[in-house]
This record gives sequence, structure tokens and C-alpha cells, in this order.
Amino acid sequence: MAKGESPLKQFEIQPIVDINFLGFDISFTNSALWMTITTAFILIFFTVPFLKAKKTNSVSDLYPTRMQVAAELGFNFINSLLADTVGKEGKKYFPLVFTLFMFILFGNLFGMIPYSFTFTSHIIVTLALAMGVFIFVTVLGFVKHGVKFFSFFVIPGLPVYMLPLLIPIEIISYLSRPISLSVRLFANMLAGHTLLKVFAGFVSALGFFGILPLVFIIALTGLEILIAFLQAYVFAILTCLYINDALHLH
Amino acid sequence: MPQLEQVEFFISQLFWLGVFFVILFTVLTYITLPKIRAFLNQRDDFVKSHISKQDELIKKAESIIENYEAKVTEAKNQASQIINDAKDKALKESEDLIKASEEKIQHEIKQTEERVAKEKDTAISELNDQLKDSAANFLSKVTNIEKGNINL
Repeated sequence: MAKGESPLKQFEIQPIVDINFLGFDISFTNSALWMTITTAFILIFFTVPFLKAKKTNSVSDLYPTRMQVAAELGFNFINSLLADTVGKEGKKYFPLVFTLFMFILFGNLFGMIPYSFTFTSHIIVTLALAMGVFIFVTVLGFVKHGVKFFSFFVIPGLPVYMLPLLIPIEIISYLSRPISLSVRLFANMLAGHTLLKVFAGFVSALGFFGILPLVFIIALTGLEILIAFLQAYVFAILTCLYINDALHLH
Repeated sequence: MPQLEQVEFFISQLFWLGVFFVILFTVLTYITLPKIRAFLNQRDDFVKSHISKQDELIKKAESIIENYEAKVTEAKNQASQIINDAKDKALKESEDLIKASEEKIQHEIKQTEERVAKEKDTAISELNDQLKDSAANFLSKVTNIEKGNINL
């Protein structure tokens, strides 16, 4: 880090190719570049190992290769996540949850590469993802239940006089879902990367004793990788829970 | 904070997010995930078919064992039957043999006794004749009477 550079500099968006479409600035930026890399990596990682899959019944062809095992791991992880939270009906929404989880997970993980860019550290990106989920589950709820979906805001078994108080609370909590979902991911990424940069600044400032913040950074990098997984998992499981709410109401 | 300051890139970020998310979702939904699912199903089917085959084989093996045991008991029964029969037969045969040989021996003893008696009789009569003859000879010598004229 050059002297006097803000630890927030790493979040700056730099256009690579300026594109202007109908008066909108849709420049291809470093953010878009890492989205490209993430998308390409996910597609290659999960598709290529299964391209050569033959249709035979001999045992040796059914042994998965290393890459297939790795891809299966991701597949089964999301599969069981959906099965545990939503149940059998959740199978339909598997591609959506899988895409969300993998996109966020590899976005977070690639953000850990030095000099890369973490697109999940931008509130506009996480908010867009969260709003997408929010609008999807709301539409899903109305499609499944029609007007009855509003009964979601009425907690069953409560005395009637409590309802005027609790219904607004329920509505507010429902509407705040996309905000909490997006801010959680954005803030985690922002805080982690900023902290790493701040301590990286100490390494050069302290001279020989810079070894101490260096050790801390190494440990923190491990923690950040854990958080990268954790936040993707939280996003995915909350999406599953919202889908479950939309399908079963209470 | 660039996240909130660089408002001019909001549209660009949303646009590219939409583009890549839609690409990723579409390719995963229609190509990748069905491929993985097919692969996993194939393996599950293989394992399931082998488990059911195994059950079948176990049943078969059990029935074979049952069959075998039934046959073994049957064979054992038959063997003991044969042994008993053989014992009885052998006992009877030996008894018969003993009886027959006893009879034969009795018969032979009887025959021998008869022969001995007969020979004794002939020997006595022969001795009698000889004595008569030698007595006649002696008398004829003493009396000078022709031997043929002497009647004892």
C-alpha cells in the first residue's frame, strides 16, 4: 500500500472499457471483470468434469474423478440445505439457490486474492441480489396463496387485541429482509477487507516489529476465508427460509 | 466510501451483475445441474440395482442352504436305515450259517456213528467167521474129520 492511500481504495471501481448504451454508462469495470471470472470459473468448475460422462454400467465408469467429487460436494451441499429447510417442494428452486450461493461464495473467495476486486463488497450488488430474492419470494407467495398470503403477517394463536401492534411489526420485519440480507454480506466483506488493509499498513510502518501485524494478517486471512464461506451460506440459507415462508406461510 | 460515492457506476454494476447472474443461472439450470443430477442418479441407480440383486442372491443362497440341509438329513436317515438293514441282514445270515453248520455237523456225527457201528458189526462177524474157520481147522486136524464135515 502506497503511503497515504486509504484502506478503502481497494473498493474503488475503475472502468476498463468505457461503454455507453442509450445514454447509460455501462462501462466494463474491474467489478464486472471479477464477475466474469467468477461466472466463468463456476461454469467451468461444475460443467467440465461431467462433459465426458459416459452412459455405461460398469463399476469403473461410476467412480467419480477428483473434480467430479469436488463438484458433487457443492451440489449435495445445496441439495441437503434445501431439503432440510424447504423439503421436497424445494427442488424446483434448487438452481436459484445454487446460483446465488456459488456466485456469492466465489465472489467472496476471489476477493481474497491480492490485487483482485470483491464485487460483493459493494452495497449496490448485494442489495440487487437481496432485492431479487425478496421480489422473487413475494411473487412466489402471492402466486401460491393469492390474497391469503397477507395472513403471513398475522401470527396464529394470538389474542385479537395484540394484532394492531404486531401486524405492523411483522410487515416492517418482512420489508427489512432485503436490507438485512444485503447489508450483512456487504458489511462483512467491507469490514474484513478494510481490516486486512489497515493491518497491512502497520506491517511497513512498524519496521522489524511489523512481523506481529503480519502474523495477525495471516490468521485474519484464514478467518476471512471462513467468513467468505459463512456469508455465502447465510445468504443461501436465508433465501431457503424465505422460500419456505412463501410456500408454507407459517 | 467508494461504495456510496461512485454513484456513476451503479448502473454499470447492476447491468453486469444482471448479465452474469442470468448467464450463470441459465447455463447452470439447463446444462450443468441436469448433467450432475444425471450422473448422481446413474450411480444411485447402479448402487440400488446392486443392492436389490444382492438381496435376491442372499435369498437364493438361503434357499440353497435349506435345500442342502434337507438333503443332508435325508441322506443321514437313509444311511442309518441302510446300516440297520445291513446289520439285521448280517445277523440273520450268520445265524443261518451257524444253524446250517450245526445241522451239518450233527448229520455228519450221526453218519459217522452209523458207519462206526456198521464197521464194528462187520468186524465182529468177520472175527466170528475167522474163529469158526480156525476152530474147524483145529478140529479137523485133531479129529481127522474132513473140514467140510465139521459143523460148528
